[in-house]
Parts: sequence; structure tokens; C-alpha cells
Amino acid sequence: MEVTMDPLFLAWSYFRRRKLQQCSDICTKILQDNSYDQDSSLPISEAAWSLKTRALTEMVYIDEVEVDQEGIAEMMLDESSIAQVARPGTSLRLPGTSHGGGPTPAIRPLTQSGRPITGFVRPSTQSGRPGTMEQAIKTPRTASTARPVTSASGRFIRLGTASMLTNPEGPFINLSRLNMAKYSQKPNLSRTLFEYIFHHENDVNNALDLAAQATEHAQFKDWWWKVQLGKCYYRLGLYRESEKQFRSALNHQEVVDTYLYLAKVYQRLDQPITALSLFKQGLDHFPGEVTLLTGIARIHEEMNNIPSATEYYKDVLKQDNTHVEAIACIGSNHFYTDQPEIALRFYRRLLQMGVYNCQLYNNLGLCCFYAQQYDMTLSSFERALALVANDEEQADVWYNVGHVAVGIADLTLAYQCFKLALAFNNDHAEAYNNLAVLELRKGRIEQSKAFLQTAESLAPHMYEPHYNLSILSEKIGDLQSSYTAALKSEDSFPEHVDTQQLLKQLREHFSVL
Amino acid sequence: MPEVKSIFREVLPKQGQLSMEDVPTMVLCKPKLLPLKSVTLEKLEKMQMEAQKAVKLQELAMKEQNQ
Repeated sequence: MEVTMDPLFLAWSYFRRRKLQQCSDICTKILQDNSYDQDSSLPISEAAWSLKTRALTEMVYIDEVEVDQEGIAEMMLDESSIAQVARPGTSLRLPGTSHGGGPTPAIRPLTQSGRPITGFVRPSTQSGRPGTMEQAIKTPRTASTARPVTSASGRFIRLGTASMLTNPEGPFINLSRLNMAKYSQKPNLSRTLFEYIFHHENDVNNALDLAAQATEHAQFKDWWWKVQLGKCYYRLGLYRESEKQFRSALNHQEVVDTYLYLAKVYQRLDQPITALSLFKQGLDHFPGEVTLLTGIARIHEEMNNIPSATEYYKDVLKQDNTHVEAIACIGSNHFYTDQPEIALRFYRRLLQMGVYNCQLYNNLGLCCFYAQQYDMTLSSFERALALVANDEEQADVWYNVGHVAVGIADLTLAYQCFKLALAFNNDHAEAYNNLAVLELRKGRIEQSKAFLQTAESLAPHMYEPHYNLSILSEKIGDLQSSYTAALKSEDSFPEHVDTQQLLKQLREHFSVL
Repeated sequence: MPEVKSIFREVLPKQGQLSMEDVPTMVLCKPKLLPLKSVTLEKLEKMQMEAQKAVKLQELAMKEQNQ
């Protein structure tokens, strides 16, 4: 005779093995047999119901610490910032205030927000903060940096609705018919229910309602509910309220996560110094905690203080020598400070650890080329091309292959590579600029000018197209446009010596006239 | 190869100043290291792709039903 396993136990086992869909299916079956009712129900259906909410939550769970997407509206209509014009070194919004020692844009490319590119992207670093309204609206023109109008219309809401769409019988829990007061008094159900509402349904208002009642039921003594309240307030944009909740939660219980959430609030309020001191306070309680150290390093990096960011990333690696973010950031920093051999070692380490994707092989290829290990260069790029996931990545890889071609003076190949980059991503400003340089070498002035103008309009934050256009215009005798282009170039890279010289020359010229 | 006589002889001034004209040249944009993606970002992108796929499938099914 076959012995069948208890279905609830089996579901639980599936859940632990992260076979979430199977777990949820079994729970659905149990719930069909023993119907679940909010007011009176058997323990077994209650257990199955709770397990199903957990399984559904786990399917779409994302680390809340990492989740951060600032919409245009929040950024521009920001009421929480203290000073409109912050002093240098106290704000995340002034990328220009470099602390010295970091690479200049002449060596290290910039992102659209005017920061040097980093070795690692997270949801919040994807597009940075544009400085002006005009720039903010313009930025989403390129598909890879699309920014929602407000964070309430962002990716998380869309994911929430998508999860409902795929469920033909409607949502598992009908939130509007839920008796929150009743659930808030059942601590064994309320937590899973809260996480379900918050992560799966993305219904922050209802989640807040439940959390408020539950914390009341716990007589304001449960730190967990306070953290959840803080998370809800953060999502609703009530940063000061969420700060209060996190502070109060920290008074009850020191938890690393609470420190991270609180620091996130301060970063959103544009108070990096407060966030830094908070992290240090956290490190007093949890010495050597990797996430706190990483947080410090990220803030230094965002404030364009690359040398001390690298120091902190090194501290991270002392604690955890397989930390991908730290290795990638230190590697890219070495590459852009003219030490591709050392960068190569870091990226090789990542490869040994099992990171296997297009970005890594592309970086390996570049490092090999600039470290003069030519045998590995092209095969790395070939692998990168074999592993690309989308057209933007493909364009970037071809763009870098183009650089290798320029390096070996095969200008025909370079030309083709940059053209390919443009074929895959029509908004690739760097490729436009480099094509323009190659076109000018061939003597096609009009074509070159057209490419430069395109590059300029696509990426006003880069100095190269402005500077090149300035030189080109000066050569063909159009001094006025040369002067305006040089001014723009000075705007985006004030320390550039060649631009300064060109401007000086032009000014002398004009004064003679 | 010392025995091959070159037509051109290099001129290296033994005294006086050596001057060089610094001609401004166009600059290329720099090679771009691609940033690695965090686990969270990868999961987000995966979920988004799956959701889009599911919606598309549903829409296709709806269309077929209507026909």
C-alpha cells in the first residue's frame, strides 16, 4: 500500500526547497477541501492559507533595502530638502564637487547625471539624479534610462498589477473584504498577511492600515511592526514619519536592517553626512558588518569621492572576500586609474567565483587589451557577444571592440564596429562621437559635423562632442559656433586644458576684430 | 642593420631649443567598462520580462477566443 504524505507537510517541504509554485498549488487544493473563513476556521486551513501567502510573497520578493526608484515628480517637486543650494560635500545632488584624486572625465566616462560610471548597478543607481527639470524630462528619451513620472507609477506597481493579470480567478485575497482589525490581533497570521499585501499586491495603503492596527495591538512595543510602518511611510513619500518609526524601532532592538532602512531615508532626504554617521553608529554595534560598510562605500562613491569609496570597498573585502559589488567597483577603479593589469586580476577573480555574463567578459576583454595580453582580448569579446541579453548590451560590446580596433589602427574595422553599435542602439552617443572623428580623418566634414551634432543632442553631459565640434568649426572658419561649442564643453568639464586653450585663442581672435 | 644606408638622415639639434607645436586634435570617447548587475536588479528584470510575456500570452489567448 502506498503511503501518501500529509499534503500540508509536503507543501511546507516544497516551500523550504523554494518550489513555490508547487507549494502554492497544494495549498490551493487544501483550501478547496477545507474552506477558509476569516471568522471561524480549522487550524489546517489557516495554516495552508498562511503558507500560500508566504509562497506567493516569496515569488515576487525583492530586497526592500535595494528598492529605490525616484520619479521625476519627487525629484523636482522635492519639499524635504533643507537647502536648495547645498554646501559642497554635503549633498548627493552636486556631482561636480569632486574631492580630488578621482579620475577626470578625460579618462573615466560619466553617466547622464554627471557622475563617473561605477562598476556595479543597483535599482537605485540606474539613472542617477539629473540636475535640472529640463534634463530630467529629456533623460527618458533613451530607452535604457526610462524614469517613471512618480515612484507610484514605477516598476513595482506595474509588477503588482501584472501578478493579478495572470491570475484568471482574480486575486488570492480580496483586500477590500479583509477585516484588518481582526487580523491585526492574530500575530501568527498578520505578519505573513502584511508581507503579502506589501510585496505581492503592492497595496501600501492597506498594508499601512494593517501595520498601524497591529502595532497598536502590540502596545507599540514590537520593533518589527515599527520597521514595517517605516517601510510603508517611505513608499508613500512621508520620509520624516518613516524616520521616526525606524528610530523608535532601533530603541527597542538593534537590527542591521533597520540601520539600512534609516540610512536609505537620509539618502532620499539628501543628507549623506547624516547617513554616514548613522552607518558608523551601526558599525559600533555590529563591527565589520558587510552591508553597513558597503553602504558607506556607496555614499562616498555617489559623492564622487572615489579614493575613500575604494578604501571602504577594501574593508568590505576583508570581511567577505566574495563580495561581487566590492570586487567590481575596485576593478573598474583600477582600470580608470591606468592600472588595467590589476583590474584584470579583480575581474578574473569574479570569473573564478562563477559570475558568467556579458558584462564581465566585456570588461575582461578591455582589461586584457589595455594590459597588453592580446591573446585573450578577442576571445573574451566573442564570448561577451555570445552572452548578450539585449540590444543595448550588444551595442556597448561592439563599441568597445571598436576601441580595440582603433588601438591596433585598423580604422576600417573600427568604423564598422561603431556602425554596428549604432545599429543595435540608435542612441549610442559615444559611438556617434567616435564615428565623427573617423569621418573627419577621411575628410568628410559635413558627415562628421552631423554625427557630432547628434551626439551632442543625445548626451549633453559629455564634453567630447562639444569639444570636437568646437575644433571642427574652428577649422572650417565658423568661429562663432566654435565659441558656443567650446563654452558648452567648458560647462561639462571645466578643468579640460585643451578647451581652455581653445577658448583663450578664440577670445583673442574676437578682441582683434 | 647598420650596413643599410638610409636616404633620410635624422636631424637632431645638438644645441638650442627644441620646439613643438601642440595641435588640438579631436578626442575619442573612452572605452566603457560595463557595470555588473546586482541580484535584485537581475530579479526585477527577470520578473518584468516574465510578466510581460504572461500578459502577451493572455492577450493572444483572448484574441483567439474572440475569433
